[in-house]
Amino acid sequence: MAAIDLKNIGMVFGLNGTRHTALEGVNLHIRDGEFISLIGPSGCGKSTIIDLVSGLKTPGSGEVLVDGQQVQGPGADRGTVFQDYSLFPWMTAFENIRFALEHTRVFSSKKEINAETERYLGLVGLSRFSHAYPNTLSGGMRQRISIARMFSINPKVFLMDEPFGALDSLNRIYMQDLLLRLWSQGTGRKTVLFVTHDVDEALLLSDRIAIMSPSPGRIKEVIDITFERPRCRKTLTAQADYIALKSHLLSVLYCEMLDEIEKQDQEFSERGVPA
Amino acid sequence: MTFSLTRSGYGVILFLAATLVLATAIPDALKQAVTSNAVFIGVIILLFVAFAASLLLHPQEARTVSDIFLLISVALFFWELLLGKLTLLDPLLFPGPARVFAVFGEDYALMLQGLVNSLALLGAGFGLALVTAIPLGLFLGWRKRLFDVAYPLAKAISPIPPTAYLPYTIVLLPTFATASIFLIFIGAFWPLLVGAVYGVFSIDHRLVNSARTLGLSERDMIKKVLFPAALPSIFSGAMIAFIMSFITLTVAEMIASSSGLGWYIQYNHEFANYDKVIAGIILVAVVVIVLMYFFDRIQKYSLRWQNP
Repeated sequence: MAAIDLKNIGMVFGLNGTRHTALEGVNLHIRDGEFISLIGPSGCGKSTIIDLVSGLKTPGSGEVLVDGQQVQGPGADRGTVFQDYSLFPWMTAFENIRFALEHTRVFSSKKEINAETERYLGLVGLSRFSHAYPNTLSGGMRQRISIARMFSINPKVFLMDEPFGALDSLNRIYMQDLLLRLWSQGTGRKTVLFVTHDVDEALLLSDRIAIMSPSPGRIKEVIDITFERPRCRKTLTAQADYIALKSHLLSVLYCEMLDEIEKQDQEFSERGVPA
Repeated sequence: MTFSLTRSGYGVILFLAATLVLATAIPDALKQAVTSNAVFIGVIILLFVAFAASLLLHPQEARTVSDIFLLISVALFFWELLLGKLTLLDPLLFPGPARVFAVFGEDYALMLQGLVNSLALLGAGFGLALVTAIPLGLFLGWRKRLFDVAYPLAKAISPIPPTAYLPYTIVLLPTFATASIFLIFIGAFWPLLVGAVYGVFSIDHRLVNSARTLGLSERDMIKKVLFPAALPSIFSGAMIAFIMSFITLTVAEMIASSSGLGWYIQYNHEFANYDKVIAGIILVAVVVIVLMYFFDRIQKYSLRWQNP
């Protein structure tokens, strides 16, 4: 069991004299084994929530509970994948995973660690690149290693902060399918907290989507995504309720932004376009 | 295997051959007092071999290799011609190459002993600085608050040239060896410390966060994450540290030692043996080049993850 509870979270940053409310009154209960996506425009505090659950930041007010326990700093019971900064550049693909294993799980022998490392590299199809340094690999390959590392340490929850945000669309599709496949394998799905700004990605992966809005960062709406799993990308995107959900998401997500842009346009036309 | 020579490559062969002819066929001026030019001839042959080997090992850089060797062989040729054979300048102050290289044959035992002594001091002082300055620098970089306290102090103390401590250190410490190890240590300490501190400062905090999510202990964090991540900066500090310690070493030896590379140069200066002084300088240059070469290799290997 590994539910995540965010209870009335508030967070204020001081930015050169001005106070910026990053989060205000955020309440969210994430069930055990649930895949939940946080979606919202930049500056809405999505990544801050990931940092709070991972223990990298402590909330200004409110509580963060994992498994009923208050989060006390970072720990290997929560696996993370960041956009492109999860791996250590001075370690090969193999060494990166082995390092994580050595420091998070108990093994009886070196041989066992190496075998486990090989297994996880194989899981993401990168056995051939085990001795390559991250700098020599593509962005997609690096993220596959990050994901293999996250799975290998066998945490209670997965925290993923725009893990596919820096990838091209083909690689992104490949990675989404890989993540879903690995996540659904075996017994007992992990709880996943997934940050994205891609509506299609959120719809394909999630059980629920929490839409956030900025200044102050808060959760605007939580939507249940009830499409049956395993989901097929082709048939899913053609469904009428998928299209309806997507347009709803987009409208909620962008109405504020569009309002803002419209307001700017209006001011601009009133002042006149400078020659 | 064949390789084509560039124009400067032909120049190298021409000038080296001409120098060899000068050295072997024409007798040295009496004033030069050359006992044997065997070593000089050996040096010329060595240059031939080194040139050929460099071309074979780095065929894609043939032009640069040829240009460098051309510069050396032209300089050697004119040194031999103008100072060695024609003795245009006072041979006491400006000895020819045959005289200078003959010194290596006469004094090699003394030079070797000096070299060993110097390297032992250098190794001890520099090694001591490595094992203290790097961990301390990493820790100071990691604990910002400690750094804020240490920084003004370090800023005041670090620019003092290590040789300024020399007379006092020699009085305080029992032997010349301990005194010079201490001075070399001081000379190497600050650049290494600065390299380690700024290495930590320049680490992307997202990388540190990634490490923190693995739940590492502080010790593991410093040893296994901060150290390798700061290594590029530590190496640039180590380069300066190495040069500093070499300068400190030679100066200390000149003033207070009875052996070593610096001592050899200073001692012969006192007897106006300028051929030996020049030979000593050449020896120092060769030692520095060899040490730098190994430094470079270690750096390239340690940072092999940096460039694909």
